[in-house]
Amino acid sequence: MLHRDLLDMSEKMENIQSQSSQTRYDKGNLSLRSSNQRSGAMNSDEPNPLTDELAQLMMLVANNRCKTSFAKLFSHFAPKINSFGVQRLSQQGLAMDLVQETMSRVWTKAHLYNADKAAVSTWVFTIMRNQCFDMLRKVQHNREDAFGDDIWPLFESDDAENNDDDFLLSASLLQHVEELPPLQRQVVQGIYMQELTQQELADKLNIPIGTVKSRLRLGLEKLKSFMEKHYD
Amino acid sequence: MINYHPDQHLLSLHAKGELPLSMSIAISAHAEFCAHCQQQLDQMTLALSEQQFEQNQTIQPASIEQHGQLDDLLNQFLNNTLDSLDTEVKTKPQSSLVADNSVTIKGQQYMLPRVFKQQITSGWQGIGKVSRLRLDTGEPQARASLLHIAANGEIPDHTHKGSELTLLLAGEFSDCYNTYKPGDFMLLDQNHEHSPKTTEGCLCYTIVDAPLYFTKGISKLLNPIGDLLY
Repeated sequence: MLHRDLLDMSEKMENIQSQSSQTRYDKGNLSLRSSNQRSGAMNSDEPNPLTDELAQLMMLVANNRCKTSFAKLFSHFAPKINSFGVQRLSQQGLAMDLVQETMSRVWTKAHLYNADKAAVSTWVFTIMRNQCFDMLRKVQHNREDAFGDDIWPLFESDDAENNDDDFLLSASLLQHVEELPPLQRQVVQGIYMQELTQQELADKLNIPIGTVKSRLRLGLEKLKSFMEKHYD
Repeated sequence: MINYHPDQHLLSLHAKGELPLSMSIAISAHAEFCAHCQQQLDQMTLALSEQQFEQNQTIQPASIEQHGQLDDLLNQFLNNTLDSLDTEVKTKPQSSLVADNSVTIKGQQYMLPRVFKQQITSGWQGIGKVSRLRLDTGEPQARASLLHIAANGEIPDHTHKGSELTLLLAGEFSDCYNTYKPGDFMLLDQNHEHSPKTTEGCLCYTIVDAPLYFTKGISKLLNPIGDLLY
């Protein structure tokens, strides 16, 4: 059981890795997979050319910081976000703020978008709804807080089955993560809780990626032994 | 096995982002326990996003003025904002990696669902076996708290002015209706009278005294006159 949990952890690590290196660039594969996956959820058998086009634009923004692609995404989404904002916030000025906030996050969080998990529309909708929730709190209760992303997590798996497990697993694991030596803890937390790629984490901590890998390995091995000691 | 779930109406308001914070926390926490409701929420979100972004006919045509504003905003993004956003991300120091998302009461530590991670800002209060930790949701219409009942504790018979929401987070409790398990989501109105008791102890998330408040969308409450009705 616990072995399986830790195996899951390592698998997740592999996923993050491959996502950053290979899959992201493999557009043909990605759009094929995303339309397959979506057709189940949408009850629509036809591939949606718009969906694939949006996913490609996101990929260009994420990988190449391509402003032309951003402009295309903006032209597609901004008027619709604006009309959502007018409906929900009842003020043109606030609606324009919602467009700005939402599109800013599309730009800064683009690297976290995963076409296998959701269509671009769904991802942007989530960002927009969360921002709008926080803006409504500000208007209604004069509260400057940002809880939208806690309520509807943006960057985690939409995979419903994992949800229960994640929470229950993290309940026991988190305690053990706290007990790791600081350097290992930092890496384990960066990869699993902040969901950074190994490269991103290496850049952030200003250490070689090899060091990230070895600290992560040590940390995971230690966690595994904590769990075994504690539960066997 | 979770037996009590939010109804479709609440789930759909939640997917739209129209519930107040206190109730949004409850639904989101329930969905962390309940794969079934999470799946329904995902499907609703998917349907909403398609309706909002992929079907042109539902979009009201923007006025010429709005088009102008959007064009200006895009130009600002391209000439300036995007670059400064990138610089900001690079230079922004990342603060502590993980928030402590647990509470400790009477020597017992409980991990909370993720949605609580910014919500625990005050301490426990209470006497005897019943302790309460108030959440500061800033909503005058509702009081949200964590409620802890120690082993063999009980809450005396009570009814409610408005509704009472109880989401069981850990442990078990029973009342005259049933025995409840973690994840169970119970919304009772003022006609229910009950006296929950627990043998092993339990931790709940509760919202009380909120007549009509939960089940209306927030945007409807934006109207200032709405507040005067309570």
